[in-house]
Amino acid sequence: MIYTVSDLIKIYGSRTVLDIPYLEIEKEQIYALLGANGAGKTTLLNILGLLEAPTAGQIQYRARPVHFAESDLQPLRQEIVLVNQHPILFTTTVFKNIEFGLKIRKIDKKDRLRIIDESLDLVGMREFSSAPAQHLSGGETQRVAIARALALSPMVFLCDEPTSSVDVENQNIIITILRRINETKRISVLFTTHDRSQAARLAHHTIVLNQGRLVPTLYENIFRGVLQSDPSGQPQCVIQDKLHLSITADQALCNRQVVSVFIDPEKIEPLKPAKYPSTPNELQGRIVQVIEENGKVRIVVDADVWIALLISKKSYQKNGFMVGENMGLSIPAEAIHLI
Amino acid sequence: MDLLIDSFYSAILLVISVDAEMVAIIGVSLKVSCASTALASIIGVPLGFGIAFGKFAGKRMTITVLNTMLALPTVVIGLFVYTFISRRGLFGPFDLLYTQYAIIIGQVILIIPLITAFTIAAISRIDQRYRQTARTLGANRRQTAWVVFREARFGIVAAIVAAFGRVISEIGISMMLGGNIKGFTRTMTTFMALEYDKGSFVLAVALGIVLMGLSFGMNLLFHFFQGRVQSQ
Repeated sequence: MIYTVSDLIKIYGSRTVLDIPYLEIEKEQIYALLGANGAGKTTLLNILGLLEAPTAGQIQYRARPVHFAESDLQPLRQEIVLVNQHPILFTTTVFKNIEFGLKIRKIDKKDRLRIIDESLDLVGMREFSSAPAQHLSGGETQRVAIARALALSPMVFLCDEPTSSVDVENQNIIITILRRINETKRISVLFTTHDRSQAARLAHHTIVLNQGRLVPTLYENIFRGVLQSDPSGQPQCVIQDKLHLSITADQALCNRQVVSVFIDPEKIEPLKPAKYPSTPNELQGRIVQVIEENGKVRIVVDADVWIALLISKKSYQKNGFMVGENMGLSIPAEAIHLI
Repeated sequence: MDLLIDSFYSAILLVISVDAEMVAIIGVSLKVSCASTALASIIGVPLGFGIAFGKFAGKRMTITVLNTMLALPTVVIGLFVYTFISRRGLFGPFDLLYTQYAIIIGQVILIIPLITAFTIAAISRIDQRYRQTARTLGANRRQTAWVVFREARFGIVAAIVAAFGRVISEIGISMMLGGNIKGFTRTMTTFMALEYDKGSFVLAVALGIVLMGLSFGMNLLFHFFQGRVQSQ
């Protein structure tokens, strides 16, 4: 393991932004850290990057406990590099930006030149070596920031939303770089993203955070819901004022009225068109996306809110669901989790 | 209006002819102003950097006191220093009163708060991401501080230029502690005041032109330097 996190808590003021009982991160793997804004992704990344101390809990880096004292952290920071969502380059040339970390590590000039050239080649920015860093575009800045980090040959590369503020062309370049450094240099990569499909394409593992807590499942199908009773007194959960889903009496025993609801995409059942119209937990909507994913097929349906379901390839082929067509969904109570 | 135009015309001629007395006065002004700015920078820049970069109890109060000291009148500083360096003062035996050293001491006291406060402002404006980036690239505390200092360099140079402008144009300290002694402690501002008292404006206006020219030249140099570095 490259990291083992236990009982990690981070509190800002009176707000708990992270509460992670246990988390392991394997070395030489790519991890995607998914979650909505304010889920605690950047805070977790900063803690793993040893730039911020947790309020409580323990972090082990390469099986050794980390002590958040500046003198102890500095040697470890030589192995872990973090690139911000909006990276900042020093007000000098691209070359000198990349040289900064190498000089700190007392690498001799000849090797520095070689490493800088290699790093710029890796991100396709060699011709920008002598350019003033502040004249680069957002995507170029992001690529130079990645080159500056990779020049240091880190064990761990942490990247906060690496593609969120760049154009599509640069997004693809960055994704390719992350994959390549993991495959060729065996660097452990952990990146945050909102984009679930990007995480599925790039990462070996996905970690999902919701309000600072690990969600033991996929990022999709998490909604804000309100618990109430229907006219017959049956408990139900109203999602985004649109979907009324019946829940069990046990699920209704929640001391909050406003809840986060997760609908397990693997437990949602597709319905044949013949089974319309629907009973309480049966919906219909239009298919907006179909993707093959880890041997299954992921279908996103617009049923007033977007709901994803994962079905077997066999079921997909049998029903022949097509983008733009209508389909029915059945959401059993066991697929609904209040988190 | 004629008086102004005549004085201005004569002053221009005086500047062009490089009048010996004027050159001597400019020399004294530049010498004490450069010395006091250099000394105050040596003290004020690290002090400001330390206050801005450090975390300690009473930091806000320290900054408030420094900002208050920006409004310190030159005559108050003149009186304060006078009590120390006059014959009956603590440093009386050193015979500092009515020397260029006395002016320098007063001017250093005048601009240390200015350089310190402006350095704090320059450092505080630097994006926190520079500090975080330096740390994640493996920099220790000293190396991180250097990165922040380097990014704030234009602000710090601007503070020094502003301080130089303040001392070269001040009159209270130069008059009270220097005494306006011809060829020795007579500065541009003290001489301009003397000429005004005498009703003779030509040399005063000529020195005024030089004073403005010096200030303009300093700012021009600063902007040239800033432009060169930013285009690198």
